[in-house]
Amino acid sequence: MVNVLKGVLVECDPAMKQFLLYLDETTALGKKFIIQDLDDTHVFILAEVVHILQERVGELMDQNSFPITQK
Amino acid sequence: VALTAAKGVLRVQLQCKNLHEYLKELSPEILDRLYNHPATCLAVYRELPPLAKNYVMRMLFLDQPLPQAAVALWVKKDSEKDHDQCVSVLSGLRLWHSQQLQGGLQGNILNPVFKDNLRIALLGGGKSWADQGDSLGPDRHARDVESLDKYALERWEVVLHFMVGCPSAAVSQDLSQLLIQAGLMRTEAGDAPCITSAGFQFLLLDTASQLWYFTLQYLNTAQTRGMDLVEILSFLFQLSFSTLGRDYSVEGMSESLLTFLQHLREFGLVFQRKRKSRRYYPTRLAITLSAGVSANSSSTAMGATPGTGDSGFIVVETNYRLYAYTNSELQIALVALFSECLYRFPNVVVAQVTRESVQQAIANGITAQQILHFLRTRAHPVMLKQNPVLPPTITDQIRLWELERDRLQFSEGEHKYGLYLQCIYSLCLSFILQGLGCLVWQNVAHRVIVVSPQGHGEVKRFWKRQKSHT
Repeated sequence: MVNVLKGVLVECDPAMKQFLLYLDETTALGKKFIIQDLDDTHVFILAEVVHILQERVGELMDQNSFPITQK
Repeated sequence: VALTAAKGVLRVQLQCKNLHEYLKELSPEILDRLYNHPATCLAVYRELPPLAKNYVMRMLFLDQPLPQAAVALWVKKDSEKDHDQCVSVLSGLRLWHSQQLQGGLQGNILNPVFKDNLRIALLGGGKSWADQGDSLGPDRHARDVESLDKYALERWEVVLHFMVGCPSAAVSQDLSQLLIQAGLMRTEAGDAPCITSAGFQFLLLDTASQLWYFTLQYLNTAQTRGMDLVEILSFLFQLSFSTLGRDYSVEGMSESLLTFLQHLREFGLVFQRKRKSRRYYPTRLAITLSAGVSANSSSTAMGATPGTGDSGFIVVETNYRLYAYTNSELQIALVALFSECLYRFPNVVVAQVTRESVQQAIANGITAQQILHFLRTRAHPVMLKQNPVLPPTITDQIRLWELERDRLQFSEGEHKYGLYLQCIYSLCLSFILQGLGCLVWQNVAHRVIVVSPQGHGEVKRFWKRQKSHT
């Protein structure tokens, strides 16, 4: 018996995956989007949240960086 | 062309084919007609790897095929790989083909058309390649090498300016059509054309690669314009063997060749005083063209871009500051593509490479590799003295900024789990799918696989077959 689900496979490093799980738990994107947690570096998610997810990740990276310029 | 998706923007990677790759893609009849011209044969011969050149020379004056076993004996036992590579290059370009010898062995013989024309090229004879301008008498408006170089650079920069979007640059309708067809610019209905991500990447290449890529695009569209590809290519190779500073006459050139000449005039490959002039001067750009791209991105020995009189002008410091000693609007616009300009002086532009500016460039479709290539090929002589040329901190950081955007990698898939019963079958399935290339991920222990959408059909069929067996 086989179950088939449609979605998108995400590959990332373990730290980023924890971030995805966090977003999912707090339903920060408006709904739960993780269909299944596959292993340390792979997650299976809904197809439609891909863009918003990229934005969120971008925001996280922006928060963690600081400008080192001297003018 | 490699595609990656980021934020909904498709990043297309520019690939510059070199001469041989381009020729391999042409159909056999065209290739054979092409080899009818000695200039082409010589140009192709010039680009061969040394071992292949050796083989061709050895077989040049033989009229009979040579057994393949004999050819294989020409190399030592441990150079088998080189021999095989050589054989594939020669067959790919249709320079030789196999023929059966009388004893039933397989033999190799050089393509007869290629053979005759290469002989002519090396020994002389046959028709003269291009009519010298002598028949027209001395040119009252003769141009010397320097002014030719300046002209060539000017024209080519106008094309690049047009791509960057400077309002002062104006090019002909034909040329903007060609840019659009090459994928370097795109136009929405009726608006002026604007640059694409491939166009950005194109801008950061060095001049020789740009010319070559552009010429290849032109050749690809030549047939749709009703021009004869063979004629144009032969003329191009002929140009590459002409002497800089010498004028040639347009006697005997057909209509399509004359149109081609006008286009070349617009790119700066050829100089003609007026449209109706009967003589033309090839410029340095044309001559270095077919020496083109065989060693482009890997050659760090290139300090100066060919066709430009000056050498590199960019200095990069470890505090992410960039100093560009140039006045040219175009170069400044290119530097501004990936850095923030801070100050501008009469001969220097001071800029800073920041996270925002680099990520903006990446969002536009430029890769970190290209930014680094751009900086390396235009590095100031002072920079060239240090090894490595660019400070490692800068190169690493630019790459890291690029990777930041790629922390997540997506692949479309369908997830199948619960292959509880026939674990053997799940293994078979995964082997099949790997062969078909649509397996995205699998976890054999849990009997879970993810397949790409194309694989879904295959899997369904496989599954139905298995079910009907049990």
